[in-house]
Amino acid sequence: MKTGIEVKDPVTDGILDRLMEQPAPFLEVLHAIQDHHGYLPEPALRQVAERFKIPISDLYGTVTFYHYFQLEPKPIPDIRICENSACCLHDLDAISREVVDVDLGVAHSGQVEKISCPGRCDMPVPILIGEKFFHGARAGAVENMTAATMPLPPETGLEECLFRDIRDGIDTLAGALSHGAWESPKLAASDPQEVLAQMNESGLTGRGGAGFPTGVKWEAVRSETRGPKYIICNADESEVGCFKDRLLMAHSPHAMLEGMACAGLVTGAKIGIVYLRWEYPEILESLQVAIDEATQAGLLGDDVCGTGRPFRIVIRRGAGAYICGEETSLLNSLEGKHPFPREKPPFPTTHGLFDLPTVVNNVETFCAVPAILEKGGAWFQALGLGENAGTRVFSVSGDISHPGNYEVPVGTSLRELLQTYAGGTPDGKAIQGVTMAGISGGFVGAADLDVALDPGSLTELGAMLGAGGIIVHDETRCMIQAARESMHFLAQESCGKCFPCRIGTVRVTELLDELIEHSAGNPVIRDNPLEELADLEEVLGETSACGLGLAAPFITRTMKKYWPDVVQDYIDGQSAKNPGKGDSVE
Amino acid sequence: MSESKMNLDGQDVTFQEGETVLEVARRLGTFVPTLCWDERLEPFGSCRLCVVEVEGHRMPASSCTLGAAEGMVVRTGSDKLRKMQSTLVEMVLSENPGDECPRCRDLGSCEVHDLATEFKVGRNRFLGATSNASMDDSNPFLLRDYDRCISCYRCVRICDEVEADHAITMTGRGWNKGIATAFDGLLMGSDCTLCGQCIYTCPTGALADKKMVNQGSVPGEIEVTRSVCPYCGTGCSINLHSRDGKMIGVTPVLGGPVNAGALCVKGQFGFDFVNSDDRLTRPLIRKQGKLTPVSWNEALDYTASRLKSIKADHGPKAFYAIASGRAPGESAYMLQKFTRAVMNSNQIDNCSRG
Repeated sequence: MKTGIEVKDPVTDGILDRLMEQPAPFLEVLHAIQDHHGYLPEPALRQVAERFKIPISDLYGTVTFYHYFQLEPKPIPDIRICENSACCLHDLDAISREVVDVDLGVAHSGQVEKISCPGRCDMPVPILIGEKFFHGARAGAVENMTAATMPLPPETGLEECLFRDIRDGIDTLAGALSHGAWESPKLAASDPQEVLAQMNESGLTGRGGAGFPTGVKWEAVRSETRGPKYIICNADESEVGCFKDRLLMAHSPHAMLEGMACAGLVTGAKIGIVYLRWEYPEILESLQVAIDEATQAGLLGDDVCGTGRPFRIVIRRGAGAYICGEETSLLNSLEGKHPFPREKPPFPTTHGLFDLPTVVNNVETFCAVPAILEKGGAWFQALGLGENAGTRVFSVSGDISHPGNYEVPVGTSLRELLQTYAGGTPDGKAIQGVTMAGISGGFVGAADLDVALDPGSLTELGAMLGAGGIIVHDETRCMIQAARESMHFLAQESCGKCFPCRIGTVRVTELLDELIEHSAGNPVIRDNPLEELADLEEVLGETSACGLGLAAPFITRTMKKYWPDVVQDYIDGQSAKNPGKGDSVE
Repeated sequence: MSESKMNLDGQDVTFQEGETVLEVARRLGTFVPTLCWDERLEPFGSCRLCVVEVEGHRMPASSCTLGAAEGMVVRTGSDKLRKMQSTLVEMVLSENPGDECPRCRDLGSCEVHDLATEFKVGRNRFLGATSNASMDDSNPFLLRDYDRCISCYRCVRICDEVEADHAITMTGRGWNKGIATAFDGLLMGSDCTLCGQCIYTCPTGALADKKMVNQGSVPGEIEVTRSVCPYCGTGCSINLHSRDGKMIGVTPVLGGPVNAGALCVKGQFGFDFVNSDDRLTRPLIRKQGKLTPVSWNEALDYTASRLKSIKADHGPKAFYAIASGRAPGESAYMLQKFTRAVMNSNQIDNCSRG
């Protein structure tokens, strides 16, 4: 509405004055306004639009994309409860009823709202009130909430890289320094070619799931002549079943910051940005402390570790959107654009943040860098089994004795991870199947639990390793329901740009719902459910514009592969007497 | 300049630097279906109907976003591609409520309908939740009914990229996406200039010209006459649509040399005067306080005598000419010449200067 008199919000003006000269300030400006007002008032947004030279309509549309930007005041927050794959193995309805009456010391409206996975599958069920998380809510015991634990030392006694000192208090700067932290930037400044050589020898690949060789990526950005360049740490870990980056940032923040500084010194970037998912408020606090401590100690800032070279790191918070973990969506999000994925090519190495050369790496990837540069690329390479290089962290949740994160050599068998490291199922029930990559990598059934955890082996099974999230389902679980929950998450988080994903993920979810209801007695069932499903899978898997839609068919294809009898029973309107063993039938 | 060559469906074809594979294919008359594409807009790559197979690519690529490259080998119409395109059209049909498809609203053009016919599919499979996003908008010209929206965002993009009005935007995400003005207000309260460009890029009946709604189904042939917009001196090309000698609507001419398919609110919607009962058809002179029809000769003689007497009684400065913005340059020239040489006044202006 064009009105004659524009009432300006002085608080917003102050925020804009303070932040506009900061790197990629867009998200931080919106958060600062929301932190102050409790929501994003219209006059404030108009001021933001004016300063950023974004049309107000576009800004409005962009704000509505995110789960956690609010356009209306809400003085007393609702109770938010995760509804996704790992948490819905628990009685969410009972927890939702009970939690309303439990005194958690935080005021709430009494309204319960389901939310997308906040990355706490190891402490189900998480409850969010305002910006405060409570963990471990169970039906009948909502008040007995427990917090996260440190990763267990490996039963195997194998050497670790990322977790090697993690149990020894390296979350503080003093603790990190006493374990040799912040040495590698000197090498990165004095001999970047040596750093690249070590990185390439290490075989380190992107741990966000895409698996691109890290050294090659850094080399590409280093060779670009345009600037300023950027180093971005993708800490928007948002897939159901993935919570490794949360742990690494909480307990080993200096390894990540050091890795980013090395990337900056090697490529010539002077600014690093951590794109942190909104759902990790405790990390926002602790990571900022780590950055401030490192800066005060001269390890970051104008003279990194005495090298005479500048590199500073800022945190930018997301606002609740799985797709922003896709690197080009992340870039658009930072720039204040609608966070749709971009067409590739061009890739971020040449056209990244603000169209400039940019390294985008995952938290775990950066965390591995200091150890590689200290001990050598060959050392890291040799940590892997067989042909595989290095170790990686897996997040294990669901029906498992010790949910949590485990660092294992790449190529370790899935069975060993689940049995030896994570203690198997809590009550000795058989494992029926597990999700991979969080959920988007489909399932591995009981018959294939000996598969080696490396990208190629999983691909051979028709699944995907991805970012290393694994949700265990024991023999009592309905795997059609599990597939439905996976697909439902993707449908919730689809950005809506490309037709195959926007329509396809919803249609597959509905089709699975129909099977589940049919098996429970609802007579309605379409004529050729499997034919429709196959057609949707084909379109999703071959024509979608980004990885979200392209990966979606892994879920239903592996469901059909491992549990064909159950699928057929459901189509025939029978509840499966025996939920299935997950034996592959091909 | 050396000619660049690629291979399209087994034929070696030449292309210009910067052409996309879709543009090459369309130029050669190859059928490649699209819904989110409009030649005036930047490629968006959302409908994925234009997928082609590219040698060396693991997966089909959207040809609208794929630049042609030397030696590139592309296939457009394999059985597999046709099947996926057909499924996609069915998925699009399933997204909205109602009958066969997001049907045509005004003059009977609907790209989804055309593709449904081409692929011989209907709204039979993949049925489930529908978008249910209908909305009223009280403006006099543009009908907005997002029950028929396929979320190609051509309207948003033409408003941004061509008109630079930025009146509408994409909201929400995934299935709960939408198209809205800032803060979900009405078009009339937004930065919308009611130019109607969104209507003419919309591939369905989600946006329509309120004056022409259902005209496609009224009996009687519609005559289309290419003309030039009479409003200002810009000279936008328009198509006048008429039935039985009566105008029913205006559409922009996509290839118009001046406007390239663009029109403003006046040229697009302001044609009511043509058939209005209030329209003047002959000169009137007020006689004894009453407007009385007279001949052109009488009117011109009367005007000339009054101008002469005003100049004689009050001097040239009593005369002030304002040229109409609708007049062509020649007429405007004549008016200033008349004002200066005959009336001896320099007081000349044009209504466009207001």
